[in-house]
Amino acid sequence: MKNTEITETAHYLTFRLQDEMFAIDVAQAREILDLLPITKVPRMADFMRGVINVRGSAVPVVDLRLKFGLACAEDTIETRIVIIEIKADEETTILGAVVDSVHEVLEFKPDRIEASPHIGKRWRTEFIRGIGKYDDEFVIIIDIGKVFSTDEPLLVQEIENDTEVSEPGEASE
Amino acid sequence: MAKVIMTADDAASVRQMVSFTLQEAGYEVTEAVDGQDALKKINSLTIDMLITDMNMPNMGGIELIRKVRAIPRIKFIPIIMLTTESQAAKKQEGKKAGATGWIVKPFRPEQLVAVVKKVLG
Amino acid sequence: MDKKQQYAKAYRQEAEEHLQAIEEAILDIEENPDDTEGLNRLFRAIHTIKGSGSMFGFDDIAAFAHHVETVLDHVREGTIPVTSPLIDQILMARDRIKVMLDASDDDDDSGADTETDAKIIAALQKLLPEPADAITDTDTDATLQLPDQDEALNEETVYRIRFSPHASIIADGMDPRLLLNELREMGGCSIVANTGAIPALDDLEAEKCHFSWDIILTTHSDINAVRDVFIFVEDESLVNIRPLLDTPFETDEMQLSPRLGEILVDKGDANPEKLNEALDNRKKIGELLVASGAISPDKLTSALTEQTILRKRSSAIIADSVRVPSAKLDKLVNLVGELVITQARLTQIAGESDAGTPDKAELADPVEALELLTNELRDCALDMRMMPIGTIFGKFRRHIRDLSAELGKEVELVTEGAETELDKNIIERLSDPLVHLIRNSIDHGIHAPEEREKNGKPRRGTIRLSAAHRGTKVVITISDDGEGLDSGLIREKAIDKGLIAPDAELSPDEIYALIFAPGFSTAPQVTRVSGRGVGMDVVKREINTLGGEIRITSEKGKGTTIRLTMLLTLAIIDGLLVAVDGRRFVLPLEQVESCAELNPEHLASAKGRDMFRVADELLPYIRLRDIFGITANSRSFEQIAVVKAEHFRAGVIVDEIIGNVQTVIKPLDRIYQHAEGISGATIMGDGAVSLIIDIPGLIRCVRREEEKMLAYGNPE
Repeated sequence: MKNTEITETAHYLTFRLQDEMFAIDVAQAREILDLLPITKVPRMADFMRGVINVRGSAVPVVDLRLKFGLACAEDTIETRIVIIEIKADEETTILGAVVDSVHEVLEFKPDRIEASPHIGKRWRTEFIRGIGKYDDEFVIIIDIGKVFSTDEPLLVQEIENDTEVSEPGEASE
Repeated sequence: MAKVIMTADDAASVRQMVSFTLQEAGYEVTEAVDGQDALKKINSLTIDMLITDMNMPNMGGIELIRKVRAIPRIKFIPIIMLTTESQAAKKQEGKKAGATGWIVKPFRPEQLVAVVKKVLG
Repeated sequence: MDKKQQYAKAYRQEAEEHLQAIEEAILDIEENPDDTEGLNRLFRAIHTIKGSGSMFGFDDIAAFAHHVETVLDHVREGTIPVTSPLIDQILMARDRIKVMLDASDDDDDSGADTETDAKIIAALQKLLPEPADAITDTDTDATLQLPDQDEALNEETVYRIRFSPHASIIADGMDPRLLLNELREMGGCSIVANTGAIPALDDLEAEKCHFSWDIILTTHSDINAVRDVFIFVEDESLVNIRPLLDTPFETDEMQLSPRLGEILVDKGDANPEKLNEALDNRKKIGELLVASGAISPDKLTSALTEQTILRKRSSAIIADSVRVPSAKLDKLVNLVGELVITQARLTQIAGESDAGTPDKAELADPVEALELLTNELRDCALDMRMMPIGTIFGKFRRHIRDLSAELGKEVELVTEGAETELDKNIIERLSDPLVHLIRNSIDHGIHAPEEREKNGKPRRGTIRLSAAHRGTKVVITISDDGEGLDSGLIREKAIDKGLIAPDAELSPDEIYALIFAPGFSTAPQVTRVSGRGVGMDVVKREINTLGGEIRITSEKGKGTTIRLTMLLTLAIIDGLLVAVDGRRFVLPLEQVESCAELNPEHLASAKGRDMFRVADELLPYIRLRDIFGITANSRSFEQIAVVKAEHFRAGVIVDEIIGNVQTVIKPLDRIYQHAEGISGATIMGDGAVSLIIDIPGLIRCVRREEEKMLAYGNPE
C-alpha cells in the first residue's frame, strides 16, 4: 500500500538533532563540512547562525536545532555543517545546516516508509515526507525545501515545557 | 540590299544554324571557320555585322574583335560575341576589345534574330 | 528533314571530327607532354563538343564533356600534370562520347549508360587537384570559374543592386536571368523580383520584360567586376550598384542592421515623410507602407530580404566579439577579486618582512609587478561587465506610456546619457527601483493636463531620465516638471504617522527624505500605481544595498528631482576594515570621511541623541557594538570613523580601525535580505567572512531605535 509521496527507492543522509534521527534525500546534500568559523550577521534571528566561506562564496548557515524549535546545544567535535541545495522557482539556494552529528547514508524502499508520524504528536507533518525505520529507531525524513520556505522555527507543534525555544522573527537585542 | 553578317565559328553546326536562321530572317550570311579566316574574308568583302565565337583555333574571338575594330572601313560595325556561360569573364574582355553585345550558348534561333535586329536597327 | 535535324546532323559530323582531333591531340600530348598547341586543340575540341552539344539537343554529351573540359582546363593551367592515367581517362571519355554520339544517331537508348558515365566522371574528378571544387553536379550550366586567388584574399563586400532592364531586353535577345546567374556565381546572392510593373493580363505584352530585380550580393569581387556583369545592358537598362559595406569590420552593429524604414528610404522606395507617418502608427512599418500604397509588396520583400541579410551578416561580424554567459563573466570577476585580495596580502607581507633580509629586496620587484598586473587585470575584467544603462531605458518608455494612459495624464520621457556604462549587475538591479521612481513621478509629480494648463504649464508633462559619469560614480536623475513636493504636507503626515517628533527641526531635504521612510505616502488616495506607501522605502533600501545613495530635491510648482549616485561596479570596492570584539567589518571607503581615536570627553548628548564633537562640530554617533548587539569584551578605548551618507554625517564607533582593504563583494543570500545595516559579505585573506556595512541602512536603523525611545518618552 502506498501511503507516502515517496514512491521510489532512494538514498538518504541521516543526521542527529538532540535525540532524534533525521534524514534528507542525499541528492539535496552537497557536502558535509566540519564546523568552521561562522560570521554572525547582526540583528538576525538566532537560528540564523551567520555565513561561512565555502570556496569563495558566502553561504548562509542555519542552526537546524533552533530552526526545528529544539533546545540550543553547545557545538561539539561531532557537530557538522551539511551544505544543502534547495531548488525553488528555478532558483537554487545553497545553505549550510548545523547538525549535532552526521551518520551514514541509508537506502529506504518506499514500502519501508510510513506516511504519518505515529511517534508522538509534536512534529508538524507538512514538513515530513515520511518515517523510516532503522535498527529499531525511527528516522524522520524531512522535506528540507519546505523547511526553508518559511522563516519560522518549525516542526515542533506542541512545545514541551522543558524545551527552550527561540522566538520567531527578529531577535531582540 | 540585304545586310551582310559574318559568323565566325569553328563549329560547323553553329555556323550552319546561324546562317540558316539569319538567312531566313532576310540577311546575307558569310561564314568563317576561325579568326584568321574571318579577317582574310573581310579583306575582300564588306560586312555589316560580325558574330564571333570566342574559342577558335588560329585566332580567337577577342583578337578578331580587336583587329576588326582597327580596320577603318568597318570599325563601327556591331560585333556580337558568342560565349558559353562558363566564360563570363570573357565578356568583360570582349567588351573592352570592342564587342557590342553577347549571346550565351545555348541560344534559340529567335534570340539570335532579336539581337541582330536590335543592333542592326 | 527539318532544321533541327539538320543542325543535329551537322553537329554529329562536326563532333566526329572533333573526336578524331581529340584522339590525335591526346596521343601527341602523350608523346610530348609539353605540346601546348596540342593541348589547346584538345581543349577547344572538347569545348566545342560541349558548347554546340547544348545548342542542338545533345545535353547528355554536353554534360559529360563538361567534366572533361574541367580536367583539361586544369591541365592547361598547369595545375594537373600530364600523366598516363590522365591520358587513359581522356581517351576513355572520348570513346564514351563517341558511343553517346553514335547512339543518338539511331535515336535509341543504348547510349544511355549512366553507370559508366558516373565511373568515368568519378575517375576524372579524382584527377582534379581539389576535390572540393564544385564539379560534382552534372548540370550543363555548371560553372567552372575558379575563384581568382587575389579575389579570395579580398574582404567580402555587400552590394545592393537594383536591376531594371529595359522592357525590350528579352525581345533584344538578352536573357536577364543569365545576368542574375552570373551574379549568383560571384558569391552569396539574394534576389527579389519586383513584379509590381506587370500589367493586367489584357495589357500584357509577352515579349516585354516587366520585371526588375533587387539583388543583395555578398562577394569578394570588387565593384568593377559586379559592373562588368551588366556591361552590355547598362546603357539601356537601369543598373544601380551600391556597396553597402565597404569596410564591414569597422562598422558597428547599428549600421549593419539598419531599420527597415531606413532601407526603404535609402533605396528611394519610400520617402521619409511617409515613413514617419507609418512609424507614428506604430505598426509593422513595412506592412503599413504597403497598405498606404507608398511601396509595393515586392519592394517590401526586397527590403526585408536585405534586412535579413544584413542582420545575419552583422551577427557574423559580431563573431568578432564573443558572447559569454554572464555567469562566466561573474566568475572571472570574482576570481580577479580574489586575486586582488591575495595580491594585497602578499604586498603587505612582503612589506612587513625584515628590511635587512636579502629576500626583501628580491621580493620587492616581482611584488610590485604583480600589483600592477593585478590592477590592470582587475580594470580589464570589470570593464567587460560594463553595459550602457540605455539597455533598460527602453522598458521605461513603455511603462510611462501605459501608466499615463491609465492615469489620464500626458507624459513624455526624455532620456539622456543612455550610453553611460556601469556594471551589468547593477543595471539589472536598478531596473525595478527606477520603474518605481518613474511611476511615482507620474502618479504624484505630474498632474492631469487640465490642471497643468491652469498652472501655466504645458499639458504634456516631461520626465527627464539622465545618466552621467561623475568620477568613479554614476549619477542617475529622474526629474519631472510637476508640482513639486509639499514640505508642509509631508511634515504633517510624518508627525501624524509618528515618524518624526512634532517639534523636530528638519531641513527641507530632510523633510523630503521622509518620503523614503517606511509607511509614508502623500497621495490623497491610495492608487493601484503607487500602492500604499510601500515602495519608496524599498527603493531606497535597494539603492543602498547596491552601494548607492538616493537624494531628493524639489521646488514647489517647478518639479522634483531624484538623484541616484551609484557605484560603477559592485564587484570590488575599497573599504575600511574595522573590528568589534574580534569581529571584522568593512565600511565602504567612499563614505568614510576621517578616522580618529575616540576621546570620551568629546562625547556629548544633545536633543536626545548621542553626539560627539569633532572639529567644533557636533555629530551623532553610532556605536557598532550596541547596534549589533555585541556585548562581550568591551574596550576601554575605542576608535571612531566619521562617515557620510546622503545628507547625513555621523560617527561610527568601533573597537579598532585596522586599515584599508580592497574587497570583493559577495551578495548575501535572500534569507539575509532583511539584515539591516549589512549590504554584503566579503572574504578576507585568511578565508574568514567579513560583513560589509550599509551605512545609510545603519543610520536608518539607529533612527528607528531613537524614535522608539522617543515614542516611549525616554529621550535619554
